[in-house]
Amino acid sequence: MFEELNVIKVASAMARHAAVRHRVIAENVANADTPGYRARDVQEFSSYVNEAFTPRATRAGHLGAQAVQNAAFRPDQFKDPAIEASANGNSVSIETEMLRAVEAQGQHSRATAIYSKVRDIVRLSLGRG
Amino acid sequence: MFDIKKTMQIASAGMTAQGFRLRIVGENIANADTSGFQRKTVSFANELDRAAGVSRVTVDRVRLDQSDARQTFDPGHPLANERGVVSLSNVNPLIEIADAREAQRSYQANLSIFDQARRMSSSTLDLLRR
Repeated sequence: MFEELNVIKVASAMARHAAVRHRVIAENVANADTPGYRARDVQEFSSYVNEAFTPRATRAGHLGAQAVQNAAFRPDQFKDPAIEASANGNSVSIETEMLRAVEAQGQHSRATAIYSKVRDIVRLSLGRG
Repeated sequence: MFDIKKTMQIASAGMTAQGFRLRIVGENIANADTSGFQRKTVSFANELDRAAGVSRVTVDRVRLDQSDARQTFDPGHPLANERGVVSLSNVNPLIEIADAREAQRSYQANLSIFDQARRMSSSTLDLLRR
């Protein structure tokens, strides 16, 4: 029963994704006044976990829980048509970054909540609830 | 976990840079009436720290504003020329205050990112505690 707890793997990958995304957002905010800096972002976690809960990948590009656990989340250039670069070529909007930082924080706390809930269930099944 | 630590380093570098900018603004305002003073401007750059693996914001260069100094007519001033005109600094207090507000806003943004990172790391550590 406990050999293959995919939900733990996915939850830890989700927390890691949130941390990476939060770091990229911190870079954007820190460079909000750097001339020529382009804002970056990491793709949504859901784009990494399509059908991750199935035990094997059905198509190339689908990641299993194991693959998600080892996936490297890479930041890429972020293009929001609503945000125009300012005169010095900087495309960071602090308001948008704050919104995404809160999203990342929420995702991290969801992941830790899932993790601790799974741990409670395991503990309950061991009779130590 | 490692990324959260990097986030904190990045946010603290951002706060240092904005604090430096605020210091320069303070110098400009303090010297607004110093004759011959040239206003200082700060620009930032993004610098990769290979040892730590993070790209931090740093102060690129402090330059002097080359615009013309403000002239006032004050014949009694010890530095007045033969026509009674005194050349003061080229500091415009309105611009400095706008700059200070922008620095403050960016500082607060970095601070709230730091606070979020701190909460994320403590919620991860809480998993061990219970």
